Amino acid sequence: MTTLLPEDRAVDSHARSKSAEMRKYGFFPGCVAKESCKELFNSTMLLADALGIELVELTAASCCGASVVNDTNRDIARVLNARTYAQAEALGLDDVITICSTCTGHMRAANKELLESPEHLGQANAILGKFGTAYNGTVRVRHLLWLLIDDIGLDNLRKMVVRPLNGLKVAPFYGCHIIRPESVNGWESARNPHSLEDVIAALGGEPVDYAGKTRCCGFHIQLEKEDVAANMVGQNMRMAKDHGAEAVITPCPLCHLALDGYQQDAAARWGRTDLPTFHLPQLVAFALGVPTDRLGLNKHLIDPRTIMVERELIS
Amino acid sequence: MAEIKLDVFRYDEGVDAVPHRDLVTVDLPETTTVLDALEAAKAQVDGSISFRRSCRSAICGSCAMNINGVTALACKTPCNTVTNENGAISVDPMPNFQPMKDLVVHMDPFWDKYTRLKPYLQPADRDADHDRERRVSPEDMKKLVAVANCIMCATCYALCPVVSVDPAFAGPAAIAYAYRFIEDVRDGRRDQRIAQISEDYLWLCAHCYACSYCPKHVDPHDRIVDVKRAAIKDRVMMNERGPRHALVVSKTIKQTGMLAETEVILGTVGRFNIVGLLKTAPLGLRMAAKGKMPPPFVKPIPKVDEVRTIFESLEVPVS
Repeated sequence: MTTLLPEDRAVDSHARSKSAEMRKYGFFPGCVAKESCKELFNSTMLLADALGIELVELTAASCCGASVVNDTNRDIARVLNARTYAQAEALGLDDVITICSTCTGHMRAANKELLESPEHLGQANAILGKFGTAYNGTVRVRHLLWLLIDDIGLDNLRKMVVRPLNGLKVAPFYGCHIIRPESVNGWESARNPHSLEDVIAALGGEPVDYAGKTRCCGFHIQLEKEDVAANMVGQNMRMAKDHGAEAVITPCPLCHLALDGYQQDAAARWGRTDLPTFHLPQLVAFALGVPTDRLGLNKHLIDPRTIMVERELIS
Repeated sequence: MAEIKLDVFRYDEGVDAVPHRDLVTVDLPETTTVLDALEAAKAQVDGSISFRRSCRSAICGSCAMNINGVTALACKTPCNTVTNENGAISVDPMPNFQPMKDLVVHMDPFWDKYTRLKPYLQPADRDADHDRERRVSPEDMKKLVAVANCIMCATCYALCPVVSVDPAFAGPAAIAYAYRFIEDVRDGRRDQRIAQISEDYLWLCAHCYACSYCPKHVDPHDRIVDVKRAAIKDRVMMNERGPRHALVVSKTIKQTGMLAETEVILGTVGRFNIVGLLKTAPLGLRMAAKGKMPPPFVKPIPKVDEVRTIFESLEVPVS
């Protein structure tokens, strides 16, 4: 009857790390936060200051593979990420913090394979050895969202809020790769996650429940078939809007680009939704008192400041 | 024994303008499967409740349905794991399909996509005389075992967000089943099969892993990636955007260590594809107006030579 039991959770993603004790973490910003979503990078660094943690950027880290390099070679993402983890180890850090759902999922998948298979670790180290590096398998990949909840704690976060969100109705949008597949992520239920809802509530906002929150934003097929990607955005944002959302929050810059960019194109089929899409650290940093003009909200195509003025969060 | 309340979607396409719901209560052990609870409801309460079922043990693939909003096999789902906050279990037909009657849906679009695969072995020398069987080594067979477990229950198809907005997409099950023949050493139509499934939008998979809930652990997503790799290896339909995208992403990472967004857009859409580029222009202009454009060139990361060494060691194709 074992087939009827829920699947085992392989990795304990909640255990306290050395990095958490030191309040000093390896930081992997990912490509998009350094290119078209610089406001995400900046607001993350401002949030780290507000939280009193140090994010040490792994400046020589490469792209995680973005789920796309797997299409060309089955080993490349694993070895690229082993190189990144070795950089964190060299700094004495055992946590690599991400700010993108796709980075999270693919870096965790690579790490899982490296830690579970001596063959894969051996293959990676044989290549890293060519330039005098090795990965010892001591690193864990976590998203900033999980750090907020496990290391800072929701109670502490609540206490640090100086600008509560006044019941702003915020729809969480997780981004596939921070929750699925569960065998890789497993930090919370992929079918019924509530970490973003918990953070929204801690900031004084009202989380909006809707089926679209765990669905796909379509980012990865924007260049393949733009209208399909836009429709996926429209479908999800319609659901959020119909459930009363005034804004969206996402831990993923790829979802941000899709939701912020394509609602206008999806309007013909799904009606106008115009929901501004906050990056997770933007809204947390705002509630913690970081000056609004430093959060890059003016970079969004759907300006979130409109609803913030309406709800008297800013003047 | 426990009181199991089923909140059942009721609809008859020939009769009802709109669906309604019935709450049906049966007394059964709480570990009873949802399928057995439905069987009891049909036998004891309302014989008109319709649903597909046959084997009752996750082999026939008939009883996939939405249970409290989650697509799953009713025969593999114990009632006590799914009771909702109202103390009931809601059962609905699978999404991405037209309902026919109650939990029974029209499966035709799903089967059509299978039929297009010609899902049977077609050896290159099938007309030649054979005095012995075609043999497959254990290593070659190992690649096919997971996909051979597919029971065509359509759970993955129902969960696929791309299917929900574009019914032309082959869907996870059909692509995984294409893999089953593409990687079968006995088959002689490997490249034709890759071309066929490419035409049926192989590259439209959004990598969302919604299909990771396969009740038989076929992992359709990983098989989709396997087929894409086969397409690149055999260089089938390489002028499509999908393979161009995969290769240009790999290329920019090899060159700079980063995924260079501008270069990826140009390389995928086509640098000289004026019409294609004009189509992406409105969003680009909106982003530019907000100062939200990716830089035209990306500065290589420190020690980018290491990244190039990795690409070369693994012989990763980049063009």
